[in-house]
Amino acid sequence: MAQSSSSLDVLLKGSSGQSTRGLLRIIILLTIAAAAVASRLFSVIRFESIIHEYDRSRNIDLFPIAVDPWFNFRATKYLVQNGFYSFWDWFDDRTWHPLGRVTGGTLYPGLMVTSGVIYHILRFLTIPVDIRNICVLLAPGFSGLTALAMYLLTCEMSTSPSAGLLAAAFMGIAPGYISRSVAGSYDNEAIAIFLLVFTFFLWIKAVKNGSIMWGALTALFYGYMVSAWGGYVFITNLIPLHVFVLLCMGRYSSRVYISYTTWYALGTLGSMQIPFVGFLPIRNSDHMSALGVFGLIQLVAFADFVRGFLPGKQFQKLLTAMVLLTFGLGFAGLVLLSVSGVIAPWSGRFYSLWDTGYAKIHIPIIASVSEHQPTAWPAFFFDLNFLIWLFPAGVFMCFQNLKDEHVFVIIYAVLSSYFAGVMVRLMLTLTPIVCVAAALALSGILDHFMVLSKPNPEAQTKTNAEDSKSLRSTQKPVVGIYSYFSKAVVTGSITVYLLLFVAHCTWVTSNAYSSPSVVLASRMPDGSQHIIDDYREAYYWLRQNTADNAKIMSWWDYGYQIGGMADRPTLVDNNTWNNTHIATVGKAMSSREEVSYPILRQHDVDYVLVVFGGLLGYSGDDLNKFLWMVRIAEGIWPDEVKERDFFTARGEYRVDDEATPTMRNSLMYKMSYYNYQSLFPAGQAVDRVRGTRVPTESPQLNTLEEAFTSENWIIRIYKVKDLDNFGRDHNNAVAFDKGLKRKRASKKKGPRVLRTE
Amino acid sequence: MKLWSTLLLSFSVISGVFAAKPTQDTFQKYQSLSRSGPVDLDNAAFEELTNAPRDYYAAVILTAMDVRYGCAMCREFDPEWNLIAKSWNKGNKPDDLKVVFGTLDFDQGKAVFQKLMLQTAPVILLFPPTVGPFAKLESEPARFDFTGPISADQLYSWINRHLPDGPKPELVRPVNYMRIVSAITILMGAVTLFTVLSPYVLPIIQNRNLWAAVSLIAILLFTSGQMFNHIRKVPYVAGDGNGGISYFAGGFQNQFGLETQIVAAIYAVLSFATIALALKVPRMEDVKGQQVAVLIWAGVLFGTYSFLLSVFKTKNGGYPFYLPPF
Repeated sequence: MAQSSSSLDVLLKGSSGQSTRGLLRIIILLTIAAAAVASRLFSVIRFESIIHEYDRSRNIDLFPIAVDPWFNFRATKYLVQNGFYSFWDWFDDRTWHPLGRVTGGTLYPGLMVTSGVIYHILRFLTIPVDIRNICVLLAPGFSGLTALAMYLLTCEMSTSPSAGLLAAAFMGIAPGYISRSVAGSYDNEAIAIFLLVFTFFLWIKAVKNGSIMWGALTALFYGYMVSAWGGYVFITNLIPLHVFVLLCMGRYSSRVYISYTTWYALGTLGSMQIPFVGFLPIRNSDHMSALGVFGLIQLVAFADFVRGFLPGKQFQKLLTAMVLLTFGLGFAGLVLLSVSGVIAPWSGRFYSLWDTGYAKIHIPIIASVSEHQPTAWPAFFFDLNFLIWLFPAGVFMCFQNLKDEHVFVIIYAVLSSYFAGVMVRLMLTLTPIVCVAAALALSGILDHFMVLSKPNPEAQTKTNAEDSKSLRSTQKPVVGIYSYFSKAVVTGSITVYLLLFVAHCTWVTSNAYSSPSVVLASRMPDGSQHIIDDYREAYYWLRQNTADNAKIMSWWDYGYQIGGMADRPTLVDNNTWNNTHIATVGKAMSSREEVSYPILRQHDVDYVLVVFGGLLGYSGDDLNKFLWMVRIAEGIWPDEVKERDFFTARGEYRVDDEATPTMRNSLMYKMSYYNYQSLFPAGQAVDRVRGTRVPTESPQLNTLEEAFTSENWIIRIYKVKDLDNFGRDHNNAVAFDKGLKRKRASKKKGPRVLRTE
Repeated sequence: MKLWSTLLLSFSVISGVFAAKPTQDTFQKYQSLSRSGPVDLDNAAFEELTNAPRDYYAAVILTAMDVRYGCAMCREFDPEWNLIAKSWNKGNKPDDLKVVFGTLDFDQGKAVFQKLMLQTAPVILLFPPTVGPFAKLESEPARFDFTGPISADQLYSWINRHLPDGPKPELVRPVNYMRIVSAITILMGAVTLFTVLSPYVLPIIQNRNLWAAVSLIAILLFTSGQMFNHIRKVPYVAGDGNGGISYFAGGFQNQFGLETQIVAAIYAVLSFATIALALKVPRMEDVKGQQVAVLIWAGVLFGTYSFLLSVFKTKNGGYPFYLPPF
């Protein structure tokens, strides 16, 4: 064998072999990065270069997910046009009318600044490029970087040369990560996952080397991460937990001390530079574990230092007692501070991860977002395919050596699989560690089965080093695989799994994650593709047919889109900072016209926009979200809006003839079905989403008039009528126009009089 | 004319006195009956308490406590209701704001249930006063329906909304000394036990195999959707309509308890086969044995994965991929 491959030996052995391998490795990594970028371009190729939100609603029956690419895009444009300092002070009066929003101080600027910097660099290199194209392609570009970071991280975990490359390839095309990083999904997560992985890589490097430089680099990228995504809290808690577990395992070392203290001191200072974060790192319970471990490690370090000088056993006991006492006192102090309110309690979103029933009762606005729903098992398989069963195997292999970095992998794996189970959205943080563990497991197999040389049992040095600490299954020495047949079988089947994985990822990406929710694609009976473009049709109608400052009221899911595409002020949007304001909109939607009209007038609303999927069978429409509007409104006005009233006596949510009066009189119901019956022959009107007949009579609208309905009736826009010229209420005015006789007001109390300011 | 008016006036005063006296008495009577908790009512007492001229609020829960009626919510909510009544009766409140809390059990008050045509329990009725400073025009009671299990705080805020503005007693949950004491005892017991047993326990705690097993089980549980079961409270299994059992729920966003366990088992088998191939097989010295082991594990891996794909296909109809056997 040696003779036949002698020509290759020059390339594969010795120093030139090393450089050949290095070159090969670089080429492979570049190919992986290119594949990662390419697999995210489906939507750009199919549709066009537009910003969009990622929407699983058609594949999985859920509401569209509130993410904010449109807002980010708007903010980036503002940043590029007006410069960094005015971006910092940006007060946006075109959202949350009439409140406005202090945008500069309430966002994570990392994403916008990153694309702004790229834009200016390209300009400096005299490459004229539109800021929109940078925004669209930022996420795929960073996913290529994520694959590289993944390679670095996994190489720290394993001596096997293949593990890193496998992990990079997995990360490049795993649907769990693609879901939030396809071209056009210009969201914080686009850069945040790269930063997450890279920060962890730097952290592992710091712990391994105990160097201040790596610790400082960790802090630097942690700061960048804080500026980019609210999920930085995950790092803030994971690194202290890692250190804490290491301390509990009796693995204190100066390496850990140096890297942790460097990271904590610099990272905390760095994170406080972001106005939105401000003093949270020292005043919020989310960050207290980092502070606590910082204190603990000082104590342990001190004890370790003193131990060298104290000979007697008694002294050591005293020392231990002292350390424990100080720690206890510190802990009690923290508890006292948080009880007395100096330290803010856990933030709602974070807390709802632990107490899973919390959000539903106390913060319906969080519970209403489909991304915050728990994850059913098909979603795991959908997003990770065969990595999901390689994952536990890889974690098991980490117990084999159990060095400091392997402890990190184990903690990360357990914690993030819990989080991903509680919230669909956190699948994103699970994906990196799944890729690491799966790559470790797979490289463990491939390294044994893809070796050509046969093992020689006699030559095996029988060093049965009985290490009681190691795992039972790895106590015997490695022999190797004897027969070519078994090598072929295993290698062959794994190749099949890998090919299947690639096919699965491509299928998932192209089918589920690459359709912008603003543009829906459907198949015609003959198999051709039909594009449903109602959203953009309606937004451009708004842009061209309404006054520049016409206020549009819609449910908050569409706020950013209206702001970005139609460029009109909105009442509420996806930045859900003011629950009461959202509840006001919910109340207006779920009340009778007589109640809603004054609300609309008070908020200067000119147009009301609803999404109705009944004609097309588009399940993510407003009537399906309606109960959340009711619930959120009920949270503020429990006496005026009652969820119970929207259910029939038998507890059903109906929209047909048996719908409750409250339901049929609600503004949302009326706006959805107004004139819908005219599309069908009499008595045949069908709602294709809820699969029921709708009442034969169209609801009557008095205070609104239909202004626009898109091609497929997905978007319906209504104009709010002005006050009547003759001072009548709208009820009477409409009745008069219809030629109905005016009711005698004197006979009985009459219909409820409409009060208008 | 003047005579008439004075007469009328005096009549009204007298009738007012006459009317006020019994209500005053009713309130005193029930107030004294309800030393701490709510008053237990029966048909007659309910009628007397909610009779028309009253200058107090009456909050009554109509409930069915007996096990026969199978009203779990009634029994669950009873301590909460007592807590509300107790907090109110013991707390500081304005002198003229009078509220009586009562409990009417179905066994004692069938007639009331019939009269009010109540089909469900528990129901809470709040009768506003008809005379006095807080008198309401409509004497119809406000009704609170239970849509799900609720806490005392939610109901108390509902009651407070119907009472006039002003200071009201706080809802006080009594400190559960029993629990604190037992927690401390258990904690100290655990510490003692640990110190005594540490020579035996420590090797177990430091055992790597144990930790590996715990982590793997946790990961398998979480990734097979156990948290979804916990949060959504899904059924364990469901019938398929023909008397059989359907193991897998239809639809991408549904699952059964048993289904997740099957999936967790599949994942476990697959992971174990992977571990065996990666760690165990290369350490076997016997040539034949190794060959057999490789074939078995590779076969298990292939078959189980094929089964997993077929299960996933049933959940997601349009899924195009499969592996041969299943």
